[in-house]
Parts: sequence; C-alpha cells; structure tokens
Amino acid sequence: MTHGAKSSRTISAQGISRVEGEGSLRVDVRDGKVTDVALDIFEPPRYFEAMLVGRHFSEAPDITARICGICPVAYQMSACAAMEDACSVSVSDAIKRLRRLLYCGEWIQSHALHIYLLHAPDFLGCADAVELAERDPRVVERGLDIKRTGNLIMEAVGGRAIHPVNVRVGGFYRTPDPSAIAALAEPLRRARENALATVSWVSGFVFPDVAGDYRFVALRSPSRYAVEEGRPGLFEGFDVSAGQFAELAVEEHVARSTALHSRLEGRDHYLTGPLARYAINGALLPRVAADAARDAGLGAACTNPFQSIVVRAVELVFACDEALRLVEEYEPPDSPAVEVKPRAGVGTGVTEAPRGLLLHQYEIDDQGIIVRARIMPPTSQNLLTVEDDLRRVVEDGMTLGDDDLQWRCEQAVRNHDPCISCAAHFLDVTVVRS
Amino acid sequence: MSVLAPGSRVVIAGFGSEYRRDDGVGSIVAASAASLRPSTHEVGPLSDPLDLLGQWDGAALVVVIDAVRSGAAPGTIRVIEMDVGGVAGSDDERNIESHETSTHGIGLAGVLRLATALGRAPARLVLVAIEGREFGFGQELSAPVEAAVPEAVRRVVELIEEARTCA
Repeated sequence: MTHGAKSSRTISAQGISRVEGEGSLRVDVRDGKVTDVALDIFEPPRYFEAMLVGRHFSEAPDITARICGICPVAYQMSACAAMEDACSVSVSDAIKRLRRLLYCGEWIQSHALHIYLLHAPDFLGCADAVELAERDPRVVERGLDIKRTGNLIMEAVGGRAIHPVNVRVGGFYRTPDPSAIAALAEPLRRARENALATVSWVSGFVFPDVAGDYRFVALRSPSRYAVEEGRPGLFEGFDVSAGQFAELAVEEHVARSTALHSRLEGRDHYLTGPLARYAINGALLPRVAADAARDAGLGAACTNPFQSIVVRAVELVFACDEALRLVEEYEPPDSPAVEVKPRAGVGTGVTEAPRGLLLHQYEIDDQGIIVRARIMPPTSQNLLTVEDDLRRVVEDGMTLGDDDLQWRCEQAVRNHDPCISCAAHFLDVTVVRS
Repeated sequence: MSVLAPGSRVVIAGFGSEYRRDDGVGSIVAASAASLRPSTHEVGPLSDPLDLLGQWDGAALVVVIDAVRSGAAPGTIRVIEMDVGGVAGSDDERNIESHETSTHGIGLAGVLRLATALGRAPARLVLVAIEGREFGFGQELSAPVEAAVPEAVRRVVELIEEARTCA
C-alpha cells in the first residue's frame, strides 16, 4: 500500500511472505538517504528461557526443540552440549557421529525447503512456490525429494521425521539398527545428485550486484566442516570457547523492537549462517561440494547476500555427502548414551543450526534443576546485519518504484532465511520515504 | 476397532505447540481422535503445514486440527471443508491463507494449492478450527478451549466415520 504526500512517502505491506514466521520491517528514507531500518521480530526464546527455570536439566532438549518447527535438532544439540558442558561430560565419538548424521538430516530438510519453496521464487519472477510448481513441477518435486531424504534420516536416527524424540542429554534413548541406517544410503546418493543439480540450477539465476561488508562468525572444527561441535571463530582469526563467546556476544534491547540485537563486545554486529560458514570453513568442504562451488563461480568467500541461495545449495551437497559418509561408516555406539550426573555449574553449547550459530547456556543446581537459561538463536544474532543489508538495498534501489523496492527489501530479508516460526505473532512491513 | 477400507486412508494432523497454551489444542484433539480410531494415521504435533506434503499422499481424507484466532468466542469450533482442486477458494480459505486466523506462518490453503499443482493433494481436506484465547507460554489450555476438546474430538471421529462409510 502506498501513502502519497508531498514531503513523505510511505510504503507498507502486511507481512513479509516466505519467511518462517512473522515480524515487522520499517525503512525510513529522507532526502534519498536511509535514516533508519528496523527489522522487528518477536522473539519467543526469551520467554522459553523463563519457562525453563525450575525444570530438570534432562528436559531442556525436548522443551527447547519445540521452539522451532524447522530446526528442532539444532535446539536439541545445543541444549545437550550445554548440559554436558555443565556436568563435565564428554560423549563417545560414535555418539558424536550419530548426532552429526541427525544434524545433516535437518540441514537437508531446512535447506531444501528454503531453496525451493521460499527463496527460488524470488529469482524466477514467481509470486510463490505454488506458481513455481505450476510452471515447473519437476523442479519443485526435486526439492521435495531432497527434503524427504532429510525426513528419512530424522526418522531413522531421531525416531520421527518432525520433532525427533530420540535425543537425550548424553546421547540417544536407543541406537538405530545398522539395517535402518544402511537403508539411507541409496536415497542419499540420489539426494546428492539432486543437490548437485540444485547448485547448477540456482547458480544460473540473475543476482543483483551487491556486496556486503560482513563480519562472519562460524564454528571452526580442525578437520571437518563444523556442524554439531567446534569453537566459534571470526573470519579474521578470532577463536574462542563457547563460554567465552557467550560473554563476548552482547545482546541489547532496542526500544523499537521486542527482539534482542547481538553484537560482539568491542566490535560491531556480525553474521552467522551459510555465508559465514562457507567463508570460514570452505576449505574443509568435501571434494564434491568444493567442486560444485567452484563450478558455480563462487570464490573463497561470497559476500553477495542474494547469492546465499548458491551457498546454501553447496551446503546441501555437503550435507548429503557427509550424511552418506556417516551412513557408510556407521557402527552402533557401545551404549546409546553416557550417564550424565548433574552437578552445580554453568554450561554453554554452540552448534550450527541451518541458519547459523545457536547458543544455549544454562546454570543448574546440584540436583540438575535449571536456575538460569539463555538461548541466543541465529536470527537475533543476524538482525543488525540484515538491517545493514536493507539499508544498502534501499540506497542502491532509490530509482525503483515503491512496489519493486518493497519486493527487493523482502528479498533481502529472505536472503538470510530468518526463522521466526516459533512466534505466535503477526507481521507488518513499512517503508517511509521523505 | 474400525478398519478403513483400502483406498480410504485417513490422516489426522494436529498443529501447534504444546508449550503455547491454547495453540496446543490441535495436537491434543488429534491424539485423542487417533486413539479412538487407531486405523488412522496421526501426524504431529506439526508447526509447518508444508510438513503435510508427503504425509498425506494418497489419503482419502485429511483432518487438520488447529487453534485459530478469528475473533469468535473462545472454544468455538468450526469445521471448514477446504476446496481441493479449487482455484479461488472459499472465504474461510482466504482468511486462512491471509494468516489472520492461524498462528502459523505458512498457510494451509497455500500448501493445498501447492500439492494440487504437483498432483499430490488428498481427495478431501477438512480443517477443524478451534478458537483459542490464550497463546502465551505455558501448557494449560484456557477453560473454554479445554471444555471444547470433547466436542472437537467427536467432530473429528464423525468425519472419519463418514469417510469409512463412503469408502
């Protein structure tokens, strides 16, 4: 909707479509310069934090998994890592590999969903995935087939395709039978081929020529593309423990927003997620994914946020290939879980959710009762950077009409796949020009 | 025990978070109805209607149960027949699509249109919508929504029985 006035212009829309959930966006423009950008997302993890207090530490993985319908494994993994840190427990390598396999399943589900149904329509002139499916059903079927492979992993390892129930602090309730894991190999081979086709497909899209000045943060792991464990690291060499990262990541209340905004203490805002992971850990990608990235024209780092769809597709290849490796090497752990006895203390866990770093930190007492909880989801960590993107997009797009500019802004938000599905609230979009 | 005839697969899908008070009523009703009619396929609790793709393939009937916020009296139950294969959709469907009545970001009607475009739509899709009042954090249903649960379960079972009779 456009409100016309001599001295000002307001563009508003009810809802940013194709983001997971809802929030609000407002951009103010004065004399051709962006004076304010506010992406406001209701942030229920904050309320979950209060709800967790008084609960037993063993309940955290399942309760927090219900925050997000799209990435429950991420919540389970970060919660487990934090509780195990608090109790000074390490799990076996076999359990770590099983966790990584489960996490790959979630990456496959989430990335396939975002690429095919939420993001690709932006580049193909389609209003939404329905129009894309009507125009080219085989393409959408390919995306859904990839997503189903993620579902299969979730079922085999997590016990259910949606909201897995097999994860516990210390490991799993039961270990999958080798035959159930072996049955994943063939679908994964097909998914890997489909993921490679996805990279070819999306790398042919036409992207706006935009370069962000990003401060990337991602987990680092010595020998593998970090997913379920690692140390938070900055592109320029910053490397800290999960606990140190929790201290460095400062969250601020902003008057106009219900969401907290994250900065690194003494530095500025930062970006987590596929672009950051690729820039920091790209050299650790398996050959098949690295080749796909090269063939897609990606360099060592990608700073065009609109091309995040290409990076996400490369990560899809990685997740399928890595899951296949883990399936082929699978040996059931000796025990499904290690015993975790509670002890009073603070623990921090950070893992790579599909959208970026997810930090959990808990203080528990000697009975294992949660005294304090802190959850820092990737979307809140990325908020300030997404606002920066929006500022750039609006300034570069002054010649666009209101509808086109609003559309470009919505695209800029979707580039980072913000996840706000856990919010039972509603969204407005407003662009004001004076 | 009811046994559904071949080709009359019924899927019951409960939507919502059990940690968001009345938002969790869909899962509660779905689980109760499925326990009364074990030959049905229950999925959920779901958060995203897109998860129905692949779950409802070949179904003769899909019953989606979800909390809504439309301004009606809390506990009000509406049974909405979704227009499978339709283009324009009913007024109720358009409301669902516009997000104004559902607590979820991606509309059920949109997923139905997507499934139709892919030839994967179920033969029949019915939404049992229960008007919620409290969507804050917690696990207790509000009193009017709690009181509506038995009737909502009865309506779902009735739909299943109809499907069985018609099969």
